[in-house]
Amino acid sequence: MTNKALYPVRALRGRRPRFAMALGAVAAVGTLAAMTASTAGVAAASSSQKNKIVPLVVYSAQGYDKLITQDFSKKFHIPVQLDDNSTGPLLTQIEASKNNPKWGLLFVDGATAFAGLDTQGLLLRGYEPNVSWDSLGSQALPKDKSYIPTGVTLAGAMAYNSAKVSNPPSTWQELLSSQWKGQVGTNDPSQSGPTYPFVAGMMNYLGGVTAGESFFSKLKSNGLVVNPTNGPTLAALASGQINIALVQSSAAVGATFSDKNIKVKYLDPVTILPSAIGIDAKASKQEQVEAEEFANYVLSPAGQKVMQTGDPTGDSLYYPVLNGIAPRKALPSLTGVKTQNINPYAWGPRENAVNAWYDQNIVQ
Amino acid sequence: MTSVVTWAPETPRDAAPSGPRRRREGLRRLAGSPSARTLGRRATQLGRPVLWLSIILLILAPCACFLVLAVSPRLFSQGSQWFTLSYLRAVFTGGTAVALLDSIWVSCAAAGMGLLIGFPIAWLANRTTLPGRRFVAGAMWFVLLLPSWLPALGWQRLVQPDGVMYRIGLDFPFVTHAIMGPFGVVLLLGLRCVPFTYLAISAALAGLGQEFEDAARVHGASRSGAIRLVAPILAPAITSALAIGFAETVSDFGVASTLAYTAHFPLATYQLYADINGFPPSFSGAAAIGWLLVASVAVPLALQARALRGRSYAVLSGRTRPVVRRELRGRAKAGAIAFLSLFYLMALGVPGFGAISSSLLADFGTSLQLTFSNYRLVFESSGLAGPLERSLIYGAITASVTVVGGFVFATLLAKKRTKSTKVLDFLLLAAVALPSVVFAAGYIFAYNLPILSRIGINIYQTVTLLVLGYVASSLPTNARVLVGAVSQVQRSLHEAGRAHGAGSVRAWIRGVFPVLSRPLTMAWLLTFCGIFLELPISQLLYAPSSPPVSVAIQDNLGNYHFGTGMAQAVVAVLFALVAVAIVLGGYRLLAPKGWRRIGGGARG
Repeated sequence: MTNKALYPVRALRGRRPRFAMALGAVAAVGTLAAMTASTAGVAAASSSQKNKIVPLVVYSAQGYDKLITQDFSKKFHIPVQLDDNSTGPLLTQIEASKNNPKWGLLFVDGATAFAGLDTQGLLLRGYEPNVSWDSLGSQALPKDKSYIPTGVTLAGAMAYNSAKVSNPPSTWQELLSSQWKGQVGTNDPSQSGPTYPFVAGMMNYLGGVTAGESFFSKLKSNGLVVNPTNGPTLAALASGQINIALVQSSAAVGATFSDKNIKVKYLDPVTILPSAIGIDAKASKQEQVEAEEFANYVLSPAGQKVMQTGDPTGDSLYYPVLNGIAPRKALPSLTGVKTQNINPYAWGPRENAVNAWYDQNIVQ
Repeated sequence: MTSVVTWAPETPRDAAPSGPRRRREGLRRLAGSPSARTLGRRATQLGRPVLWLSIILLILAPCACFLVLAVSPRLFSQGSQWFTLSYLRAVFTGGTAVALLDSIWVSCAAAGMGLLIGFPIAWLANRTTLPGRRFVAGAMWFVLLLPSWLPALGWQRLVQPDGVMYRIGLDFPFVTHAIMGPFGVVLLLGLRCVPFTYLAISAALAGLGQEFEDAARVHGASRSGAIRLVAPILAPAITSALAIGFAETVSDFGVASTLAYTAHFPLATYQLYADINGFPPSFSGAAAIGWLLVASVAVPLALQARALRGRSYAVLSGRTRPVVRRELRGRAKAGAIAFLSLFYLMALGVPGFGAISSSLLADFGTSLQLTFSNYRLVFESSGLAGPLERSLIYGAITASVTVVGGFVFATLLAKKRTKSTKVLDFLLLAAVALPSVVFAAGYIFAYNLPILSRIGINIYQTVTLLVLGYVASSLPTNARVLVGAVSQVQRSLHEAGRAHGAGSVRAWIRGVFPVLSRPLTMAWLLTFCGIFLELPISQLLYAPSSPPVSVAIQDNLGNYHFGTGMAQAVVAVLFALVAVAIVLGGYRLLAPKGWRRIGGGARG
């Protein structure tokens, strides 16, 4: 019996891995089959929809985007596929897929990003909705009409703890005085999208990159606390770690809803940060038409209403760019506040260099 | 001792079975029939090329498409140069070089720490009468389930200036300095490595019968001497745990972007992220860092190969004897309980406190005013149900595909080392070392080529590509975790089945599967937990309008709704825990007693 059993055992040595290979083959074939089935489905769907309404692919980082795309779909019977992400991943997707883009419309904050995409020829130029721009809108509209402003917030708004600060600074230079040593906080422009326009705005106001670097170096010497994004900086303000936070205006005003001690003030000049819509230059004609329709809707009274109510403590806290649309009551008035626009085509290309300098000299 | 794997005597050919018995008999005959054998042979012949094709399509092509950008940005329209070494040169200078060196020593330290903590816990849970040992495994899944940024935020909240520690009157600036610095980074990443060590060592211990310790004791060895004898038998699991700990740490982004960033202690993954997240993104700069991360895994691989060379670790067979647990008494018992409690306090208590306090406090989580408003928002209007359901389904599909692939790769890695298995080993570990964002970007470059669209293949922004990305990112880890258990299985288990007339598949199902059922279940859960809250791949590859739960959470965290996002995270983790409990409970209730005993390895 022993000898009889020994023979097949010897003959079978090493077969187990072969069985494993077969199992692997089945798994791999299954995966590939699933992949092929899916692609075939997509291809068939896209060919059957030629010259008809196509899904509008919206890349958006706005807090109210789900509501506004749903309302648009309902009103115009155009299906929308929403990629709701932070601005960083959306721009990464666009850059990585620029040989074969799959997006139709981009809806984020920051003119520099749009200018960068425009410089690469990725945005449809020359489309302007038939609306009545106010002064903020007119300033934010680019000459080549490659993107469409939908509202503005302010980069580098000053939120302060009124329980501890009764007389907040009234100029940027005052922040450098010993009175505010260790009490000022802001964000890292590498992690927080709205912070680069603030840094670039300060450089623009002070006369250039070198003067701006000098300002931020002095601010650091005075104990500047740098957190990654608006949330942690405002948390540091609320906890008392800092008494002054330089953040995006919508975040600063939003914080006043949950902490009554937080107040907001704008120092002169404060930099305008437009939210905007850009349309993919390589999208199909039909999708471009639908994207234009979407932009028109966003700038209509109905669209503005959704924008102003969809994210009441966040992105809805913007200043409108249209005549006849009033800002929400919680927003401080801009009367008497000096605002500035930075040229996104000049400051956009400097973003990586400025952020790298900031990371190495201010954050570290 | 009763053998767990028993084989029924052959039914006489002239007998006429009926009903289910006849069906079983028919299936068995079919399995052993010449046509089935031919089919099996063909599948085996096809196996190797198909396997390598799947590796090329799933892992190699996307990674290569990304990494090639380091020397040829123009290939994917990311620059003007067809060939340049400038990006690779830049990696060796300035802050990137420092970050890279920091990443390597931190990963070594974290992997070592993971082993130092994970090994004793695995031993205590599997080999002693430690009170509450049945909950150790479940709690370990909890640790694994938490995304690494969550513990980092919890620790920060506790020890940062003006944090909770100071608010309750504990003025310990040295603790703040220690945690908000390299020590804290190593501690957190080391705690992150513990579940990997625990899983690898537990699986190996489960297959290590009592006979080795008995043999040592019979020959006069003390208890510690017996342990010294047994520990080297666990070498595959130990080296596997170290290698995977290193690779997981070197590719971690959660701690790099939170605690390490705040501590001004930059790690390579953060530099890589900064390159990708900048505008315009520097994919070429990120790819250059990626190359060095891949190269860095050569170190643990070489050490592993050196440690295991020329030895066999096949100890698990049908005759493996259940282990008798060591009775813990007095100081040993108190010490073991204190050690385990301290670990779970650091790994779960602190992050749990951070997440729950953030979700219960409305004003940025800094006062002591409790409110359920964030939870109300989650259940009323955040639209969490869809993403939660999607992530559960994606996790289950990914885990099921991955566990099959992981077993196949582990089987190949566990057998005699050839050139192809060495290449496979390196590829898998190198893939673990690559941050997920590299996979995600690589998938866009590889599967969104215009030529693919021209021939009708449009899988970018579909669920298919997302799941493929998940599978590709979790397969290497899964295979590495299974290597320890698979390398212990003796061939005799399968051969015994074949010798008794069973076909290859049947012999495997009856002979090998029961022994591996527990490690396979654990590997399934490992993947499920990893995918459920996975963020970088989800962010870049999810199909529009179908966000997974991690994207939905990040959407709130990034849009000033920190409390709502944290409440979503707490709810999501609870759901995942329920899923883990169902799988573990299901195994306990449904698996035959013999499966659990041979996989469980211990009595009492």
